[in-house]
Amino acid sequence: MQSACLFLADGSVFPGISFGAPPFRLDDLVPGEERPKGAGEVVFNTAMSGYHEVLTDPSYTGQIVTMTYPHIGNYGTTNEWSETGPEPGTDRPGVKVAGFVLRSLYEGPVGPGRRPLPEFLAAQGTPGITDVDTRGLTLHLRDEGSVSGVIVEAPEGFERWRPQETIPEEFRSRVMAFLAAFPEMEGRNLVGEVGTTAEEVINPEGSPHIALLDCGVKGNIVRELVGRGAKVSVWPSAAEPGDILGEGPDAVVVSNGPGDPAVLGYQIESVQRLMSEKPTLGICLGHQLISEAVGAKTYKMKFGHHGVNHPVRDEQSGHVFVTSQNHGFAVEEASLPENVTVWLKNANDGSIEGIKLSDRPVMSAQFHPEAAPGPRDARWIFDEFMELVRSASASTSATGS
Amino acid sequence: MPARRDIESILIIGSGPIVIGQACEFDYSGNQAVRALREEGYRVILVNPNPATVMTTPGLADAIYMDPLTVPYLDRILEREKPDALLPTMGGQTALNLTIDLAEAGVIEKHGVKVLGAPIESIRIAEDRGKFKEVIAGIGLESPHSAFISKVSEGHAFVSEVGLPVIIRPSYTLGGKGGSIAETRDEFEELLKWALAESPVHTALVEESLLGWKEFELEVMRDTFDNAVVVCSIENIDGMGIHTGDSITVAPIQTLSDREYQEMRTAAIEILRAVGVDCGGSNVQFATHPETGRMVVIEMNPRVSRSSALASKATGFPIARCAARLAVDFTLDEVINDITGQTVSCFEPSLDYTAVKIPRFELEKFPQGYASLGTAMKSVGESLAIGRTYLSALNKAIRAAEIGFEGIEDLDLDEEELWSMAAKLHPRRIFATYSLLKRLGRENIDRISRLTGYDRWGLHELAELADLEHEIEAAGAGGSRAVGSARAAGTPGAAGTGNALLPLDLLFRAKRQGISDRRIAKLIGAEPRDIEDLRIEQRMHACYHFVDTCSGEFAARTPYFYSAYGEIDEGAPLGERGVIILGSGPNRIGQGLEFDTCCTLSSMAYRDLDRATVMVNSNPETVSTDFNVSDRLYLEPLSAEDVKEIMRKEGARDVVVQLGGQTALNMAEELESAGARIVGTPVKRIHDAEDRGLFYNVMRRIGLDQPQSAMAPSRAEVERLAGEIGYPVLLRPSYVLGGRSMGIAYTPEELREFLERGIEASEARPVLVDQFLEDAFEYDLDALSDGENVYVGGIMQHIEAAGIHSGDSACVFPPYKVDRTALTKMKEAAAAIARELGVVGFLNIQFAVQGGTVYVLEVNPRASRTVPYLSKSSGVNLVEVAVKIWQGFDLNMQGLVTPETEVLPGVAEGHCAVGWAVKEAVFSFDRFPNIDPLLGPEMRSTGEAIGIGGTFGEAFAKATSSAGSELPTGGRVFVSIHDSDKETMLPIVRELAELGFEITATRGTADFLFRNGIFSEVMLKVHEGHPNVVDHLEAGRIDLVINTPLGRFTQRDDDYIRIQALRHRVPYTTTTSAAEAALEGIKYLKRGEVSAEPLPAPS
Repeated sequence: MQSACLFLADGSVFPGISFGAPPFRLDDLVPGEERPKGAGEVVFNTAMSGYHEVLTDPSYTGQIVTMTYPHIGNYGTTNEWSETGPEPGTDRPGVKVAGFVLRSLYEGPVGPGRRPLPEFLAAQGTPGITDVDTRGLTLHLRDEGSVSGVIVEAPEGFERWRPQETIPEEFRSRVMAFLAAFPEMEGRNLVGEVGTTAEEVINPEGSPHIALLDCGVKGNIVRELVGRGAKVSVWPSAAEPGDILGEGPDAVVVSNGPGDPAVLGYQIESVQRLMSEKPTLGICLGHQLISEAVGAKTYKMKFGHHGVNHPVRDEQSGHVFVTSQNHGFAVEEASLPENVTVWLKNANDGSIEGIKLSDRPVMSAQFHPEAAPGPRDARWIFDEFMELVRSASASTSATGS
Repeated sequence: MPARRDIESILIIGSGPIVIGQACEFDYSGNQAVRALREEGYRVILVNPNPATVMTTPGLADAIYMDPLTVPYLDRILEREKPDALLPTMGGQTALNLTIDLAEAGVIEKHGVKVLGAPIESIRIAEDRGKFKEVIAGIGLESPHSAFISKVSEGHAFVSEVGLPVIIRPSYTLGGKGGSIAETRDEFEELLKWALAESPVHTALVEESLLGWKEFELEVMRDTFDNAVVVCSIENIDGMGIHTGDSITVAPIQTLSDREYQEMRTAAIEILRAVGVDCGGSNVQFATHPETGRMVVIEMNPRVSRSSALASKATGFPIARCAARLAVDFTLDEVINDITGQTVSCFEPSLDYTAVKIPRFELEKFPQGYASLGTAMKSVGESLAIGRTYLSALNKAIRAAEIGFEGIEDLDLDEEELWSMAAKLHPRRIFATYSLLKRLGRENIDRISRLTGYDRWGLHELAELADLEHEIEAAGAGGSRAVGSARAAGTPGAAGTGNALLPLDLLFRAKRQGISDRRIAKLIGAEPRDIEDLRIEQRMHACYHFVDTCSGEFAARTPYFYSAYGEIDEGAPLGERGVIILGSGPNRIGQGLEFDTCCTLSSMAYRDLDRATVMVNSNPETVSTDFNVSDRLYLEPLSAEDVKEIMRKEGARDVVVQLGGQTALNMAEELESAGARIVGTPVKRIHDAEDRGLFYNVMRRIGLDQPQSAMAPSRAEVERLAGEIGYPVLLRPSYVLGGRSMGIAYTPEELREFLERGIEASEARPVLVDQFLEDAFEYDLDALSDGENVYVGGIMQHIEAAGIHSGDSACVFPPYKVDRTALTKMKEAAAAIARELGVVGFLNIQFAVQGGTVYVLEVNPRASRTVPYLSKSSGVNLVEVAVKIWQGFDLNMQGLVTPETEVLPGVAEGHCAVGWAVKEAVFSFDRFPNIDPLLGPEMRSTGEAIGIGGTFGEAFAKATSSAGSELPTGGRVFVSIHDSDKETMLPIVRELAELGFEITATRGTADFLFRNGIFSEVMLKVHEGHPNVVDHLEAGRIDLVINTPLGRFTQRDDDYIRIQALRHRVPYTTTTSAAEAALEGIKYLKRGEVSAEPLPAPS
């Protein structure tokens, strides 16, 4: 049982017990040095199941995730549930989160073919910390907003039930110096670290042909599309739009992904070009990129939406459904141009959850219709998109002939 | 969508008396529905003949009827009130069944009433397992392989196909009543025959056994716009094979992957759509195979249920309140979550804790009835606890269940016994399992999992607890010599980072897993006080979290708390403005809904007087644990440790102990020594009243008669004293609860038999031996005192013979045919006792009158179970009066005892405001088909029904009907009369004969009747051979029994007749007054009147 602490940039400390990959030792912390694991923006996720999907979701790149549900690891892990997209040359079930913060880690036996969570995290080089007051941490993040943090091995003589008294001042100030130099999420470009590096074609015999701009796509988006018969070409987000269009896809999907959408100038321009020519669906970051592409603004939310219980209302029909969400940025309603219709809204806080263009077959959703984890209530969005693609290609071929 | 404006008034059907499988959760849901609909501006009419409920408190609904839940009365009420709509989904299976009856009788159509929530057709589908299965298959889901059987031969054919074991369930019954497992062909045939007889439609479902499969429940809400959410997911720790009401359950689901869970979630919502539940809350149950993961749908309830009450308390999401709003066409995104005040109801609750429910069984009351659990529910109550970990919640829930365990504990049994207990569906199986893990180590997890069907996840958690306990024990063994010195040192310095008593890190970890100070002390051989002192010294106190429905994502505004250790502490203290009300914990026989109603009403009364209330209770079924009832709600065990931590947290010292039954009262001394100010009667005087020896002296001092009584410190003394007092004798231990462990012995043999039932007789726990007053009449009196003046709320006369526990006896208010002098003596006695004991608040006294002498049988310095019944009948809310007394408004200031109202100096009396009010006890014997629970001084009833009427007869007829049997208007009366009653009984029997009843009688009675010109058929007594009266009862040849006690030698005969009558729902009377009441009731029924009057509005 190795004591460790989660330090936040605002000076708070949350003690716990280390698991998974070993935590940083104090000497490992060099201010200004970026770290893919062990340090990042601390966010909380309120899903009660689906930790494996969360761990492997590329959108969490650069984030330390705390699960608000206390018991995590109960049913083990398996690659089958991995949400990592088709990235050639990488370890497919890659854990994307930078660190995992829990209240109560399960370390007992798991079912056949499954791997215990601590083993999985260790193999994936990802540090975890358990026995943490995750409720206290969550309330802190809720009230103060998301903040950078780092998981560090506890100093000698540390006692968990009185952390303030047993962390030497020098220790604390060195950790704080590291965190002060750590980049903030706002303005951070992380799509370079995720997604495919070369075009990958899945279900080559399928139809329609969908080009997927991979900013860190979740595996289930690909599965949903393929499940509906599509051929999916997965393109790196830095690909030339001309190359993509050159293959003559029927439609485009702009994927989810990590980081701040506003700094993704190249991808925004690509999306502008792609959606002007093809029916397009954006999901999460993809929705934000489409919004930026039409001239709308995005903003950083205080602590974002990370969970599987957010109600979204269809503004036309009035129907409400429960969605899986994971975003720290959102689209400003006031900045939307005239040709954009607010399609979906959060039934809870009224934030934008989806838009449609009135002059183009373009639709986008801020949440995750592919679920994984979370409720499957929004899978109809894929059906609606496929319908849009079919009718668009029907009308194109009609015009063509 | 705005609320429906095409309806203005709505009738809500309650669930009637409490029985196993249908308890106070329906008071909770009904109460929420009434409040929510009234808030929306509807006129709400309520029907529920259960006087113990909160919902029937005058003023809470616009019109309250307490008439029988039968078609004629509902027809009459609909006629009178002309409501636009009927909401059938709040009153359990009773309300659904009645709604189907009303529809079939054409009553709904006749009055043009709209049925809200669940349409009749969807109720039919959900209840009819055959139809339900078809619907499930229609949406591509699986049900267990099963067949709908109405003939035994069909059953055998099915079994040949799917094999044994199979489960047999009769259609249309409550809480799985009659469902059972057949392992062999013979068993199968026997059980099937029984099930076919049990079912009102004579059909049964026979299905493949899913014994050992994992069991899950989802609580789904759907609105009329087809939006749906899952409010709560529940995993049964005890898998398939044990009724979910008897299972230990945990929320949320722990062992399903997200894929498996989402598949279940989607299925649950699709099932609601397919069954056609328009809106409201429904419960859907699933089973999954532990290895293959095959998922089958078990059942769904298209209404709020016990599970939805549990889910409401486990998540903070008020299901019934929301369901009521959805019933009038609000949509989920329009109903704001009351807990956060900012999220909408389609925001699915997210939990950042686990909630564990533990059933409470009456092992002491029905020892033979619990050898093994099964598919029919047998528990009478439950406790719920919330903790940051499963173990902390489990430990707290067990502590809260008040079953004699501090939490999970290992049993002192040999290994073989433990394995055999673990292998059975034993109510204490979890303890046996823990004992094995603690003794043999976690290598046994797989073996135990296979044996018990417990998932390895939960077993691993138990193994973790076992390790922790081993560590504590080891620390205790190492430091045991130091205990004394640590105490002696007693300075903060002695503690530091390590402590001689227990390393602090270990104590910290133990508290974080919910282990009580008592348990820790036991493990290290110290005193609980030592642990408490160490914690106080180290400032290691409980902290509290909000139950907020959203895992902290939004700030909660409703302070609903649970405890944790070593984490953030939320919410500021109320301070001295706060008053802590101790609830009554899980329902049990003798302590149930009545006490919860008292607690709830007291909170309402305190708030009216601007006090802030802090409710402490662990019973998730209740109204008192509705977060709207009090200013602060703590879902915590009712143990002194937990209450002291709450006192510290809130900075509140006023504690109300008089309303929560014996549970609250038992804590008074310890709380007072920790600085509590016990509200009302001083603790010392409570103690005097509770201690029978001391009480005897008090009675002697003020000159009141008591039956002869003596305390026996050993078995030999019990026998000697019984001989001295003279048989029959009443035997009971010092501290009693609802008559537990009491017995009557008519002979030394019976006395020895009683003592052999594990009764302890020692210096510390002496047995009380009382003179038993045969042929006496008993009375209950509830009074309030402000220390000087006394208000007698009313005197209730027991209709049944003396010797039957007051909770099991029918009673009538006002007393029927009574000697005025005796009544005056009772009031004098009440005043004398109140003044002598210094009672401030409630006082309950039981009297017996034998040959003109008034005896005091028992005094309880607290609210009794008759307080809600008396309040409603007399039109005086006694709890409100008590709260006002406690807040300094004496009875004179309240205008209750004034020179104009006094009946004796300083004494006034309440009167029945509804004509006549009869209370009838309701039993759940059908849950225990194989045992013969003889009625006597041990309470056995689970609930009560009321009958209100302009005449005694009308009230009696209604009470009988609401309690589940019907007085006959024709047929055969069995008469067996004691010599001393014959003259008084003669005109009654004659009138019955004149009304057209056939009379049958025992030989002696028949001779007497013949001599007086009444012909009767002679029936044999039980010991006279066959066919005897019991055989005739079983054959359904008797419609009414009049049997007055025949003396000591036939007591058992009488009991046997009574039990059979109860089983076959044949009305039974044991006294001349009851027989007269029955006659009056029959005359009322024969007049064909159906009168229904609402309760008078509160003044």
